[in-house]
Formats: sequence, C-alpha cells, structure tokens
Amino acid sequence: MSFGKNVIEHATDLLRVLPRLTIANIGPIAKTKKKKLSRRGDARGSTRGLGKKPRTAYFAVGSETKKMPFFIKFPKENYYKDYMFKREYPPVSLVMLQTLIDLDRVDISKPIDLAAICKTGLYSFEPSERHFGVNLTDEGADIFKAKINLEVQWASESAIAAIERNGGVITTAYYDVRSLHILRNPQKFFEKGESIPRRLNPPDDAVLFYTSANTRGYLADPEQISWERLVLAQKYGYKLPKLEDDPDYEMLMQRKDPRQIFYGLEPGWVVNLKDKIILKSIDPTVNEYFKS
Amino acid sequence: MVSREPLKTGTKADIETVTENVTNTDVDISKTTSQSTISVRNFKNLPAYFPTRKIWVENLDTEETNRLGIINLHPEIFGARPRIDIIWQNIVWQRNYKYINYKCLPAKHEIQRSTRKPWPQKGTGRARHGTKRSPLFIGGVKTHGPRGPRTHFYMLQVLQRVHGLCSSLSIKLAQDDLHVVNNLEIPVNDPSYLLNLVETRKWGPSVLFVDVDDIMPENISIAADSIKHINLMPVYGLNCYSILKYTTLVLTLNAVERIEEKLLEQFYGPYVRNRKFRTSQV
Repeated sequence: MSFGKNVIEHATDLLRVLPRLTIANIGPIAKTKKKKLSRRGDARGSTRGLGKKPRTAYFAVGSETKKMPFFIKFPKENYYKDYMFKREYPPVSLVMLQTLIDLDRVDISKPIDLAAICKTGLYSFEPSERHFGVNLTDEGADIFKAKINLEVQWASESAIAAIERNGGVITTAYYDVRSLHILRNPQKFFEKGESIPRRLNPPDDAVLFYTSANTRGYLADPEQISWERLVLAQKYGYKLPKLEDDPDYEMLMQRKDPRQIFYGLEPGWVVNLKDKIILKSIDPTVNEYFKS
Repeated sequence: MVSREPLKTGTKADIETVTENVTNTDVDISKTTSQSTISVRNFKNLPAYFPTRKIWVENLDTEETNRLGIINLHPEIFGARPRIDIIWQNIVWQRNYKYINYKCLPAKHEIQRSTRKPWPQKGTGRARHGTKRSPLFIGGVKTHGPRGPRTHFYMLQVLQRVHGLCSSLSIKLAQDDLHVVNNLEIPVNDPSYLLNLVETRKWGPSVLFVDVDDIMPENISIAADSIKHINLMPVYGLNCYSILKYTTLVLTLNAVERIEEKLLEQFYGPYVRNRKFRTSQV
C-alpha cells in the first residue's frame, strides 16, 4: 500500500486477498442488528421490592434496591471459558518413571516414547476426551537417576533439568488424535492392515511450545537446544554431562521425523503381523504424499 | 484464506505492447480478430481522482481463451466503494419481498366452543371465568397469534439498489470473477463444449452469462439448458443475489454498455435533481 491511494483502492487491494464474497459469507454490519426486546418483568416499571403490599415485596433475582445489580457491577471473570476445547495432558511424575524403570517395565536401552509408556499398562489416557499424551511433572526430581532418551508431550522446566542432569535427553512432541489412538494400541492398528498415516503438524496455539528450544520442542533448532541445555544447567547448578563422550551416544541422538509416528517405521508403510513382513509402496505419487 | 490465481489480465509486457496501439477513436472489438487492441471509451461524466478500471475482452469461439483487446470501465460502477452492508440489505430485500406468511390462527370469535359461562361466579372454589375461549384455556385463543396471509413485501430505496449493484459488480471485478466477452456465439450446441470451456479457463464452477437481449443465440441456449450451474440472463434481470450466487459473471460488451448507461442515469440523469421530491420511488 503506497502513499496516495484512496479508500476504494485500499478496499480493492484487500478484497483481492480475501475469500470470494458469496451469499454464504455475507452479513450485516454490527450496528444494523436489532436490539432484543425485553421480556415481561425485565422492564424497570415495577416497584423493585418496595411493594405496596407484603405480597409484592419480593426482590427480583440479583436486584438490590436503588443499586446496580452485582452481576452488572462486577466484570465477568471467565476462568473456564472454552474448557471443553482445551488440550489435556494426563501427568506422569518422575517418581513414577523411576519406578517403571526399576521394575523393568520400560527398556532404557532404547528411546522411550508414548507407545513405550502405554505398553507398561500403568498409564492410560483417552484421546477422544482431548488427552494429548504425557505431561512430565517434577515430583521426585531429586531421586531420579536414569539416563534415558525420553519423548513426552509436555514437560516442566525442573523435570527437563532432572532428566538432563543424569545425562539423558528429552523432547516434547505433538501427536494428533489419530496418531495418539495408534500409539496407544499399535497392535490393534496393525491388525487393521492400514498404512501408517503421517503425523499432523501442531495446531496454532501449540506451535510456540513445540518450536521453542527452552521447552525442548521437536520442531526447534538443534543448536538452540544445545545452548538452552547449557543455560538450564547453570540455572539449576549441575554439571552437564557431555553427550559426545557417552557410550550410548547413538541411542541418545535418535529422534523421530516430524511426520513419523513409530521409531523405525515410516509413514505409508503397511505392517503385516501375520506374515511378519513390512510392505512399502513403490508408487511415486504415494511416496510423494507421505514424504515429510 | 482461499488461494487465488494471479491476475488474469495478462502480464505487464502484454499491456505495454497493447498501449502502443492506443487510438482515441472507438474500435469495434467484435470485428477485430487476433490483434490486441485497446478501446478507449469516452464517458460523459467521469469523476476525477477515481481509480481507473480495465478489463480484457475475451471470446467464446474457442475453448482456449483468446484476448481480443482491453476496454476501460466506468470507475463509479466497476470501481465503486465495496459496501458489503448495502449488498446485504439488497439480498435481505430480495429474499423477503416475495415471501408470504400463510400461517393463521383463529381469533376468539372463530373458535368453535361454547360461549356459556363454564361455572358459576361464586361458590365453587374455582377461579372465576366467563368463557372457555379465553387464552387461559387449552384450545383457547392465542394472544397476538399470526393472522395470515401476511405479505413481507417492501421496496428498498432506489439508491440502495443502485449502490448494491455497483458494489457487487466492483467486488466481482476486484476478485477476478468478472469477464467480458464480445458475444455469446459458440460453434456447437454441445453442453460438453461449454463445460470444457469453463474448465480450461478456470471459471466457475457456476457461471452466469449476461446479454442485452432476452432471446439468446441458439447454440449457447441449447448447450446451457441441460447444465444446472451454467445459466443465461438478460441484462434487465441482473441483481445482487444472482451476482453473488454465481461464482463467475460473464458480461457481453453490449451488456456492459447497457449496465453503465442505466446505472449512470441514476447518478447523472435528468430527474436526479428532484429525486427527494418524488412521490414514488418504485
């Protein structure tokens, strides 16, 4: 938009990038809406509690005589607005994770993801009730002593520090609802004979969390993450173990592709449990679709 | 947000080559063949400081588009201020004026029920009533019930209708959904020709062809007859609802001139000065 354009040119420029105007998306401007008529008893014509007779001397609900009603006087504080649409992350504490490791419920020689935690049988979540995976809480951060490659969906700062203090790595990753259903019970999915779908990108309100390095998001820049690891170590006062010198360096460096659901399995493949084979597509158009 | 195609009005280089052949005399575009020419039309009332609008003239002879030239459009009609609220008023009016509410409930005297006092005034212990037709009784009269048939007809003001048409035409042009053709002649009366034409030019899916006469050329009439989403309309039937209902609007050159003539009459016509004293605005 340059200097010297009039209102019509500005409007025309705007219309070129807006959706096509149709009967479906047209509407009146806000002022033209009619004011809703008040119902019987809403009008202030009555005696407002100062009745002529005892029979009429009742207050209307919320009415205080000659005062502004309380529900108009104080602004609304909508704590629970849209609570039914918000994502939930059922928690897993570090104590619970340590217990799972001590009882050999999870194998720490491999990367631990949501499927591995579900496989223990001690963690349950319901994707259809807006549960989007594990929230790692910091309960038992002091007693946690295991070197793991962990992938959760949400984590607090102190929980991240507890993992990294012991030489482990942690990633927060987003899974869409269909991927969560698959991860919760992979066998059930493989028995259907469907191809593994690709993981969807996070929604708008979750992009910031999963792209920022200080939350160890899976879409963040790896160099920034290594910087943030150092910053966190200094903040919590521990010496950061060197990953390069670790004997399990290759295991600790394993990450999933942003489109990948399982370690070692790519989207588009079909797993046949009966014949114990994996079927891969050779059709270029199919491969193009599943490519990340 | 809908992804939109780039401007259909040619590349910058095209326009530059065209402007070399500018002639001040009017060019009859319907007779020119493949050579691109610009037709500068001289308008009587051209307001200063309004953005100029230009559009390609296309053909319908072939499925592939063949640009025959550029014409300039009147900025008050095809470059008007896009008043979406006025278009909305027009659409509400078009929906309502033909609607009749036939719903009717009986009045108190029309209910077939005894006029006798149901029970004595005193002594029964029950509430006092004079008739069972009262709204307090089930089957009684409905207070302020509908008494149809009632028409919802009203007339929108002339200028609201004029501005509604100007705004909707300007929006169609701004969003690349308006096309101008030299005439509606197509070589065959096959519906598939029309469908292929619309698909290759990336119009539509729904297309409205507008010409001056209400007797259209034979081939396009037969071809469009069996396609539900491609329709023909004479220019006197053009309205806001149809312009927005169809994705693409295709005007002939004659239709463009008739639209400009009729709408400019409302702005600069002889009776405009006395408009506020007119008794009838219909």
